[in-house]
Amino acid sequence: MFRLFLTELKREWILQLRYSAEIISFVIGLTIVFYGLFQSTRYIAGPGVQLGDRLDSIIVGYVLWSFSLFILGEIAGGLQREAQTGTLEQLFLSPFSAAQIFITRGIANLTIQFALNGTILLLIMVMTGSRLSFPPTLLLPLGTVLLGAYGLALAMGSLALVLKRVQQVLGIFQFLLFFLLLIPAESWAGSANFLVWLLPMTPGTELLRALMARGQPLDWVQFLIALLNGVAYLVLGLFLFGVAERQAKRRGLLGGY
Amino acid sequence: MVLTAHHLKKSYTSRGQTLTAVRDVSFDMSGGEVLAFLGPNGAGKTTCIKMIAGLIQPDAGWVKIGDYDPHSDRRALRLLGAVLEGNRNLYWRLTPEENLEYFGVLRGLSQRVARQRGQVLLERFNLTHKRHTLVQSLSRGMQQKLAIAVALIHQPQLLLLDEPTLGLDVEATLDVKRLVREIAAEGRAILLTTHQLALAEELSDEVAIINNGEIIAQQPTEALIQQFSGSAYSIELESAIDSGRKHRLEALGVGIPAPQTLRIPQPETLYSVLEILNPLPLLRVEKDRASLTDVFLQLVRESQDV
Repeated sequence: MFRLFLTELKREWILQLRYSAEIISFVIGLTIVFYGLFQSTRYIAGPGVQLGDRLDSIIVGYVLWSFSLFILGEIAGGLQREAQTGTLEQLFLSPFSAAQIFITRGIANLTIQFALNGTILLLIMVMTGSRLSFPPTLLLPLGTVLLGAYGLALAMGSLALVLKRVQQVLGIFQFLLFFLLLIPAESWAGSANFLVWLLPMTPGTELLRALMARGQPLDWVQFLIALLNGVAYLVLGLFLFGVAERQAKRRGLLGGY
Repeated sequence: MVLTAHHLKKSYTSRGQTLTAVRDVSFDMSGGEVLAFLGPNGAGKTTCIKMIAGLIQPDAGWVKIGDYDPHSDRRALRLLGAVLEGNRNLYWRLTPEENLEYFGVLRGLSQRVARQRGQVLLERFNLTHKRHTLVQSLSRGMQQKLAIAVALIHQPQLLLLDEPTLGLDVEATLDVKRLVREIAAEGRAILLTTHQLALAEELSDEVAIINNGEIIAQQPTEALIQQFSGSAYSIELESAIDSGRKHRLEALGVGIPAPQTLRIPQPETLYSVLEILNPLPLLRVEKDRASLTDVFLQLVRESQDV
């Protein structure tokens, strides 16, 4: 598996370097969108309002959203592109399972995206004057968010495997993710708070906001919930992917587009 | 046996209608054998190939590559390489060297072995000078040669080639033919589908003709052609035959469709005919031989009539 990871990392790195214009425009695009959002929020709130740690919370959510978009693009978008360009079947001829290949690809891609997202985060912090803290414990809730993101990406990949053309669904799904990751669900009261535990990636996002924006220590009970949430969505994604793979093989859908 | 396909069946259902792609296909292959899988469009060739590769699940029947079923045991995939028709099979944004290394690891090799084998294959396929060129900038022939090289990176026992010469120019076709012969000579089994029947006749040891999802003929290529070839001989003379010889030949039952052409329906009279013709200069003496195209068309038409 580690061998596969290194090869995927090399492939991703070569492609990023060779087609750097695409990736740079993506980073700039995401930063500009955020800056637009930031400016309009400030305009609506009025000049006298200090956004403070609320702004920091939004930045955390926004950066997580961009992570999720990268993962979604790599797994679900990647599956669709491979079907389109005619390399998908070659991947299914590997002794590694397709889920193994795409998850490894997702991790390799994420390793590179960490650097890119770091750039986005720095750009946003410079532009908005935000000061986020980066305690090492943030890696734990971040891990749970990523598990959930992989699970959702595999679920969307399952759709791509069976339906092929999923651009429209992916487009709508991006906004759903935006809602999940930017809404401060921790402020919901009563039974709605229970919903936070069940929604994908939300418990981990909530923890990250507490750690990075409000400088609170890691709540281990909350972390356990976030971990269970992430693992549950990953298992669900893997299950759906397995079902979709069997379905695609039964209906002869792997080759066509 | 390198490959055994046993009573494969496959149907698809679309908008309430069931289409049978493969009714009942069985065959096996041993190492070094080239089997040409021939059939008209929609006969079920590609579905069969994909069922063998584990890409389409059969409704009934089973496949064994070596001792493993590609649908349930991933070890089977280590014994299999494939170049699928209509697919790029390669990453166009990578170079030949990068593709070979990437797919080598994907097929279970270490990075070092994949790189070493990649160099050897590039040299053997005359692609070393293009090793740093992006695949999208290579000619169609080079891309196809590279796809075959990539399919061989893990040294599989079975190679599936779906229309390997489709869209290639004469030179590239010759290259692919040479490679197929070489690969088979190494002891690998090659299952080949093609619409170019002359190519199949030239390369295959055995032919399986499939129509409407069923194998309608399967025999060694030479035996099949012999079976459909007549026993008559044709002789072509340098100049027109004189009337004296003409009468003697006609008495032997020889047909004379043109003044310089003789047709001898009974092979036992051949030497008597040659004695009559002696010492006239001859251009050609030939036994009637069907081509694979004749055999294919006759069999497919017969099966459609049935």
